[in-house]
Amino acid sequence: MTVIERLAGVPLTIRAPVMVAALMVVISVIISERVLTRLHEMQEQQLGNVVRTYFDGLSTALIPPVLRQDVWETFDVLDRTGSVFRSVAPLETVVTGRDGRVLAASDPRKVPVLSELPPEYASSRADGGIQIDWDAHTGFGVRPLLYQQKTIGAIHASFDISHLIAERRQVLNTLLATNAALAAVFATAGYILARRMVEPITTLAAHMRSGAAGTPRTIAPEEFPSRSGEFADLFHGFNDLVEAERQRTALTQRLAEEEKLASLGRLASSMAHEINNPLGGLLNSIDTLRRHGSNDAVRDTSLSLLERGLGGIRDVVRAALATYRPDRGTQSLRLSDLEDVRLLAGPAIASRNQTLDWSSIPTDVTITSLPGPTIRQALLNLVLNASAAAGDRGSVAVRTGFEDGGSVLVVAVSDTGPGLGSAAAAVLTSQDPWSAAQAAGGLGLWMVRRMVDDVGGRVNVRGGDGSRTMITLRLPLSNRGKDVDHAA
Amino acid sequence: MIPADTEDHCRHARAGSLTRRSFTTGFLGGFVAASCPAASFELSAPPREGSIRVGLTPVFLSNDLEVLDELQAYLAAAMKRDVQLVTQRTYQEVTALLVSGNLHVAWICGYPYMKFRNELELVATPVWRGRPLYQSYLIVGSGSAAITFDDCRGHVHAFSDPDSNSGYLVTKTYLAERHVSEERFFRKSLFTYGHRNVIRAVSSGLADSGSVDGYVWEVMRETEPDLVSRTRVLLKSAWHGFPPFAAPLRLKDTSVFRDIQTALLSMNSDAVGRSVLGRLRLDGFSTTSDDSYQSIAASMDIVRRLG
Repeated sequence: MTVIERLAGVPLTIRAPVMVAALMVVISVIISERVLTRLHEMQEQQLGNVVRTYFDGLSTALIPPVLRQDVWETFDVLDRTGSVFRSVAPLETVVTGRDGRVLAASDPRKVPVLSELPPEYASSRADGGIQIDWDAHTGFGVRPLLYQQKTIGAIHASFDISHLIAERRQVLNTLLATNAALAAVFATAGYILARRMVEPITTLAAHMRSGAAGTPRTIAPEEFPSRSGEFADLFHGFNDLVEAERQRTALTQRLAEEEKLASLGRLASSMAHEINNPLGGLLNSIDTLRRHGSNDAVRDTSLSLLERGLGGIRDVVRAALATYRPDRGTQSLRLSDLEDVRLLAGPAIASRNQTLDWSSIPTDVTITSLPGPTIRQALLNLVLNASAAAGDRGSVAVRTGFEDGGSVLVVAVSDTGPGLGSAAAAVLTSQDPWSAAQAAGGLGLWMVRRMVDDVGGRVNVRGGDGSRTMITLRLPLSNRGKDVDHAA
Repeated sequence: MIPADTEDHCRHARAGSLTRRSFTTGFLGGFVAASCPAASFELSAPPREGSIRVGLTPVFLSNDLEVLDELQAYLAAAMKRDVQLVTQRTYQEVTALLVSGNLHVAWICGYPYMKFRNELELVATPVWRGRPLYQSYLIVGSGSAAITFDDCRGHVHAFSDPDSNSGYLVTKTYLAERHVSEERFFRKSLFTYGHRNVIRAVSSGLADSGSVDGYVWEVMRETEPDLVSRTRVLLKSAWHGFPPFAAPLRLKDTSVFRDIQTALLSMNSDAVGRSVLGRLRLDGFSTTSDDSYQSIAASMDIVRRLG
């Protein structure tokens, strides 16, 4: 993780004041540098002026003795001026003669008569300016002594500049203290401001988190920022969103309820039809028995008809029971259960004079990882849809089987209809099935899609181009780590 | 830093006005007269008609203007005459003025007196520590390792004045006895034109050694102990005649001569005179003869023969 990424992770309440403080440090460094540079220049200039004055005064007095190379008088002048020029604070003054050797120095013990000029003076500028050695707290200056345009010697002087350094340090300390205080004040203000600014966001984030975990709550008015502004707008927007979500959830529930009632109605009607069909035959058989019951052959035939008719009714009732058992959510899928769909969809197929081509795996396998009732309901929805799409005398085909070495259950439903509308297809395949279902205006396909998503499967829609329309569900068996239970 | 009590009088003087003349005019090179408006007289003033002109050489001890005021006041009162004190930078200038008759009397060294004894007459000689005698000291810095005069070989040596007995002739005699010139014996020799300056030069380290009037050194040990304590006496010479007041020979037996002599000899009996003597640490004045200065003449002879 880079430093910038790590910084981005720091809360804004810390980041803002730290950035303010950092900015202050940068500004103060720049300002301090400017101030110190200017001070430096001023100090050098001031020192240069003082030193020039010192040299001016001294050279007038020194020219006669230096011209005579008079050691004593040169020293005498230096000795006296040492006390006269106290404000200039020359640490040491050395006068050299024509040959460059020391004629006299203010401290002859340190720089003896006739010795060579000490090296620290050698680098001094000859223009009367001052060479400053900040480390040694000393400034060096030199002034040639001219007599009739000839150099007869030179005055070298070193000056104590500790007061200048002390001044610089004082200025630096003042700058540091002031800037540190300012940085602290700004950082504190930044912290308080950032806290105040971030507070609504924290509130909002808390509400969003609790909304993600359960039911979103609207933000209470007392939690709103004190003034109207962007954050108040944001809070209002959030509350509107929560309210819209609530309404949508309510609508979904109502729609699901209605769908449930509708499918219940459809089921009841198909069951009534299923039961009603043989009922006519059964009543006829009873009538035949009543009138020709003495005839053995007629009786046997009538009883056989009665038995088959009642058997058909029993099958329909059993299938309905299996499909709509209350504990269906926990039941595993038996492939033979899918055969019930054939029976349940039979009346719808028959009413439209359609053919149903049903091919399935002959083995009776129980798949524990897949919910049987849900899948059966989904298949029923698909078949009923296909039947409705195929129209009169159309054909519907259902095929079930395994793919990928038995790890995926494939359920395919095809019909001869005109194909799925794009909205309906979107319910099955798009990323956002709910809004597609809203647009398509039906819950049947949406429930199919939800089942597929629940078990981690995929949906494939093909057709609508003249050939048969085919919807293929691929449901992995090993989803959620459950084993396939091969039962007899 | 040398305690510069006398300079205090003139400290307000700006550096630009510190000319060579103003630096060096005065007694013992120690005070600045010309640039000091506080001075009540002009030391180098042109002769005033009818006044007694008294020459003073840098042999003179005090660097205090008050002693000059008092001396002038005493002499004027004692002689009932206007008195003009005249000082010059070197002995030679004073001696020249005296010999040429420009001065009525001058306090000079025994050496120039003996040089010009055919043209000068002794007026009176100061008595110091009971005798009209003094010594020449050869001094070194207090930290110097020198023990004998020969250890001073290669020194930077400070002389007082080429016409001073104690500040030049005595040391020159030591050199003459060794058949060596000061240029060869010393690395560098310089004249400071004042005994106090010699002490300053040695004390500051400018010179390694110096030839100085023993009387000046001893008295300055009391008046300026800080300055003198940084020096040490390496060698004391034999006793020589104390620098006398001398007058041109032609004034001998004149009333002026007698007046001056009386004023000096009776200085002890006057309050102002006693104050002057007290400041100069002198006991009084006595009359002496050329005999007192024979040792100086002998030195001159040695230097003349051997130097």
